[in-house]
Amino acid sequence: MSTVVHLEGVSKSYRMYNRPLDRLQEALSFGRIKRGRDFWALKDISLELEPGTTLGVMGRNGAGKSTLLQVISGVLQPTSGTVETVGQVVLLQIGAGVNPDFTGRENVMLNGLMLGIPRDKLLDRFAEIEAFADIGEFMDQPVKTYSSGMRARLGFAVAVNVEPDILIVDETLSVGDAIFKAMGIQKMLELRDRGTTILFVSHGTGMIKNLCNQAMLLHRGEMLYHGGTAETLDRYQALLSSTEAQRSGRPVDTGYEIEAQDDELDGPIFKENPELEERVPGLRHGTGEARIMSVEILDENERSVRMVDSLSSVTARVHLQYAEDVKKSHVEITLRNKAGLDVFSASTNAENVSLDGMRKGERAIVDFNFEAWLQPGQYSVTTAVSSPKTKNLYLDWVDVAAVFKIERAKGQPAIPGLVRLPTRATVHGPGGVHRDG
Amino acid sequence: MSASASKAKQGSFGGVSNALSTIYGRRWLIGYFVQRELSKSYRGSFLGFAWAFLGPLVMISLYTLVFSKIVGLRFREFEGNPQLNYGLYIYCGATPFAAFSESLTRSTNTIRRNATLVQKMIFPTEILPLTTAFTAMADKLFGLGVLTVVLGFLAYVLRWDGYALHWTLVLLPVLVVLQLIFITGLSYIFSVIGAYLPDVKETLRSFVRAMFFLTPIIWPISRVEGTKFEWVVAYNPMAYVVEAYRDLIINGKVPDLTDTVWFALLSVVLLVLGFMLFHRVKKQFADLI
Repeated sequence: MSTVVHLEGVSKSYRMYNRPLDRLQEALSFGRIKRGRDFWALKDISLELEPGTTLGVMGRNGAGKSTLLQVISGVLQPTSGTVETVGQVVLLQIGAGVNPDFTGRENVMLNGLMLGIPRDKLLDRFAEIEAFADIGEFMDQPVKTYSSGMRARLGFAVAVNVEPDILIVDETLSVGDAIFKAMGIQKMLELRDRGTTILFVSHGTGMIKNLCNQAMLLHRGEMLYHGGTAETLDRYQALLSSTEAQRSGRPVDTGYEIEAQDDELDGPIFKENPELEERVPGLRHGTGEARIMSVEILDENERSVRMVDSLSSVTARVHLQYAEDVKKSHVEITLRNKAGLDVFSASTNAENVSLDGMRKGERAIVDFNFEAWLQPGQYSVTTAVSSPKTKNLYLDWVDVAAVFKIERAKGQPAIPGLVRLPTRATVHGPGGVHRDG
Repeated sequence: MSASASKAKQGSFGGVSNALSTIYGRRWLIGYFVQRELSKSYRGSFLGFAWAFLGPLVMISLYTLVFSKIVGLRFREFEGNPQLNYGLYIYCGATPFAAFSESLTRSTNTIRRNATLVQKMIFPTEILPLTTAFTAMADKLFGLGVLTVVLGFLAYVLRWDGYALHWTLVLLPVLVVLQLIFITGLSYIFSVIGAYLPDVKETLRSFVRAMFFLTPIIWPISRVEGTKFEWVVAYNPMAYVVEAYRDLIINGKVPDLTDTVWFALLSVVLLVLGFMLFHRVKKQFADLI
């Protein structure tokens, strides 16, 4: 079957300048002065789509999704590579082509004409568009009085009634309510069955699951994956967790090497988190005789995660390195909830283990394994190393060394208080049972 | 719309003719755009579109009151018509000049102004400068229309001496079309320059202001004829335009044919150059703004 969208080695770069003057200097020197840097929004993307394909485009903010769609639609020109499309392309972005001062009716006409629909066809279709937009008497009011959802409906109603060969939807549905989303998906499915190729950006994984038969994952301008929707969604989730964990201070490999995490390893490997090294005083202090290099959260399968189920077994793993010889030292972690309340604390001292006779340069890994009988929510881990010798002084103390989330697992009861403590409930019958009335 | 492959390279000639057919295909859109621009300033006012006529009427009355009644200016040079109102004379020159200056200054940011269309939609950007020029011209046509009505009123209702509606008014559409070609060409050129260099707008504003004084609008052309300043009007296309409007509307004369041909040639060349230039660089616009 022939392809309707054909991209080959498409890259898009933007030239960035620190000051407007730099841009001018570079332009006037005809290439002799270089003042800008290139920012690659898209790197070497190749893609072929057949008619009737629905492709979900996923990726974090700034991954290049919108740029890709704009390049495919022809609004932006690729820096290198070729883009070929067959047939009429309609690009739908939030707020594009809607003039706030004009009524819905006028905007429908204007928008339709801009999309290239002949005027008579537009007049014929008007009732249908109006019905789909379903904004009632607001049709004759200026669009500035509309809610953002109503604006999106209007634009969407026009675009889908054009019956384009290629429909490119950039997050437009996300501002609509559930009914509109369902209608939008229904309409797009109809278009797909008629052979329209649909490219669809959404952060709602559910919508992509419902609509798309293919998906691609973009990360920093590169196509990490292109294939089935389910596989892509999995990779997207993994990418999200690894990148978020990275930001919160845990050393996880970058998004596209996520498979590495699943590798079987003998014993824990030592990890360093450069972010902790850059901590300013206030978030970190201590004598420096020992350094906390990294703190990570592991789930029941010993995988580094940022999210654990409540009531499951969790391990906080602390990676230490000693800068001096330390005879005796203790490690301590404190879990703090979103409100800043210390919820739970554990230490090697309390568990009757200790790190004895550590030499300069020696490394150690300490695991704290506990049951997460805690209220679901965001938690931070404050970690400290202390020595009995220097009573009031920590060897190292790092606030928010790691962040993780506890989620209520499916089928588990809610935890209404801060913690659930081991409890025994006893009913003393029959006198202990009260009946009303 | 037929299936069309958008490839990186396209024949320049094929591209231009494509663009021209796009413009024809989108004539309704151009109509809507012009209407939108024209009605924009009147939206929300109680009298609405009546301001398109009331505005010029107020200006004509003001010009007449200030220049003829208060300042009492008369030009002896004003051949055979010493009674003719100086205010009307200025208005007749200033109105076509305003169409020129407005389209020029507005075209410099026409691409930026329509950033959402350029960046977020698949949109034929060719029609943007066209809309700017058409809008400026159409707006001033209301003014010229009001001026004609006022002249007719003075001549046939109040029966003032020296006022008449001349047969040469029939030729006015020709002149309007010529000026439209002229300012459309300029709009294409300056919308490209403005997209690359936003600063050009301010520069152009000063230039247009200078042009206003170097064009025989507030002074009669006879003042420089035969003097060492004659070049000021000889190489100024707007001098021709202003004089031609006055000839047709006030003096009842046919403008000089040689000058008209030269102006027509200049306008067509500008339009062709401007359109080709625009067509060449339009794909960069989305990145520029």
